Amino acid sequence: MSAMGDAPGDLRAGKPARWWDGDLAYRFGRSPLAVISALVTLLLLAVAFGADVVAPYDAFNPATANVIDARLPPGSTGISGDTYLLGTDPQGRDMLSAMIYGLRTSLVVGLSSVALAAVSGVLLGLIAGYFGGIVDALIMRIADVQLSFPAILIALLIDGITRTLLDRATHEHLAIPILIAAIAASFWVQYARTVRSLVLVERGREYVLAAKVTGVSTPRILLSHILPNVLGPVLVLATINLALAILTEATLSFLGVGIPSTQPSLGSMIRIGNEFIFSGDWWISALPGLVLIALSLSVNLFGDWLRDALNPKLGS
Amino acid sequence: MSFVLNRLGQTVLVLLVAAFVSFALFRYVGDPVNNMVGQAASLADRNAIRTALGLDDPVIVQFGRFLWNAVHGDFGISYRFSQPVSRLVMERFPATLELSLVAMLIATAIGIPLGVWSALHRGSWMAQFLLTASLVGVALPTFLIGIVLILVFSVWLGWLPSFGRGQVISIGGWTTGLLTWSGLKALVLPSVTLGVFQLTLIMRMARAEMLEIMRSDFIRFAKARGLRPRTIEYGHGLRNALVPVVTIVGLQFGNVFAFSIIVETVFQWPGLGLLVIQAIQFADVPLLAAYLVLIALCFAVINLFVDILYASIDPRVRAAGMEQGAT
Repeated sequence: MSAMGDAPGDLRAGKPARWWDGDLAYRFGRSPLAVISALVTLLLLAVAFGADVVAPYDAFNPATANVIDARLPPGSTGISGDTYLLGTDPQGRDMLSAMIYGLRTSLVVGLSSVALAAVSGVLLGLIAGYFGGIVDALIMRIADVQLSFPAILIALLIDGITRTLLDRATHEHLAIPILIAAIAASFWVQYARTVRSLVLVERGREYVLAAKVTGVSTPRILLSHILPNVLGPVLVLATINLALAILTEATLSFLGVGIPSTQPSLGSMIRIGNEFIFSGDWWISALPGLVLIALSLSVNLFGDWLRDALNPKLGS
Repeated sequence: MSFVLNRLGQTVLVLLVAAFVSFALFRYVGDPVNNMVGQAASLADRNAIRTALGLDDPVIVQFGRFLWNAVHGDFGISYRFSQPVSRLVMERFPATLELSLVAMLIATAIGIPLGVWSALHRGSWMAQFLLTASLVGVALPTFLIGIVLILVFSVWLGWLPSFGRGQVISIGGWTTGLLTWSGLKALVLPSVTLGVFQLTLIMRMARAEMLEIMRSDFIRFAKARGLRPRTIEYGHGLRNALVPVVTIVGLQFGNVFAFSIIVETVFQWPGLGLLVIQAIQFADVPLLAAYLVLIALCFAVINLFVDILYASIDPRVRAAGMEQGAT
């Protein structure tokens, strides 16, 4: 953190000297939408990562699932005397527990793919912006081309192609890392472009020149001098992308391409429930669907608020 | 002109990369010979087929042959359907195109009026509601919209079919569901599902453009001239606001095409998207390879067209393009 203090503040209008202080906290308190969406997001995060404590049953333990109890409506009591608050799925698993574990899988995939995309995108953007020339041209040309294809299509094709490359058992084993990589690969471009354009401005500033003159190594200039000054927009982008990444995971899992149906994720649960809609068993897909909407909506609204709050030009 | 050549070069490069990826898939995923002959085939038979297929030739020759065949629409035989890939694709293509066009039509026909209306009545509760609804619409995953529509209109109300295209009529090899009652009914839910996201996007775009235009000097001048509000709003404002909106509609078509994969899976719509999902699930490599080339071609053509259109409208783009080409 101390490295951030080295850089003299940028006092141009529309960009606070440090994006994390100033009136951000004040604005946050004044916006009920931001508070609610942040609370919902935090609640879902807490429930998901406290799954082992919060969930009434262990969704991964086959012993707790009873096929005779399959597809019970919410609130029913199973053969073993257990009460299923939100009903059971086709394998007799408690819906509430499966949803909590599913939420955890979705969040893990979403968060890691955003982190991976942000790190690789920011690094490439720093390199492209700072060095320019042929490296820049190459990276940005690839970014241009990729940007012309919808992200979900790229994730789908990457996941689909690796699926045909690997045999079934290996793929099942690696499904989650592959999915994370596929989603990250479809989102890195935005980070690279944003960071590059910011670096183009920053690299001509006095503090960078001063660092160069005093013989600071290039990686250090990039990572501890320039990077902290371009992180604000990256943070906003990451928040908005988190909602998109979660939706992409759910969509791919729903299509039967992402997470295998043996592991609960919100998307794969909706996929399974979809087969039972016609028998009137709406809760198997509707409940995970509601959680998915709550999650994506609250993250999205918070991201929108954050963008407006950090960029007063858009706000007014 | 050099701008156009530059873009054209880029397009060809993208197509070549896509073709190479799909060639590599086709050639190196599994053994093509194993996928064509049964278990009982002898080693001599296998070698004969291998030579006949030219799998012993140098890679570059094989890639050249792959390209030559692809240009002629020959992508081999689907492993799963045992039919020529090109025929499968041609059979499924009309379904996807019809679905995408109707979805885009719905999104445009509803989105533009709503956007314009909410711009003109800014501050009214209805406009506020529309804006909030469009925010929610962005966060709704397409497949969930489809499932909810099926649940309400097919399962509970029983009004509309939930899968398939209904009855189709074939006109010179082009199957259409637009001419039969059951075909039209089957089209309603999928096209609405596919259109919702585009609708919210177009609505917000139309609203923003309209607000922007209504603030400009020529509108103020028209008001000063004492023209009727209706003439100003629709004759002057809307006409100018529409240009960027129409561009977005064109640009979004590629996205609609991609999202049709999701909608087709939800509604078991027999289009290209459903075909490619099945190809992925069953490792049907020739089909996947053909889809890859086809989708790259579609996007390359759309993007090239849009870029050239932009450049011919706005000289600044041309200048920027040359600058970029120089570095």
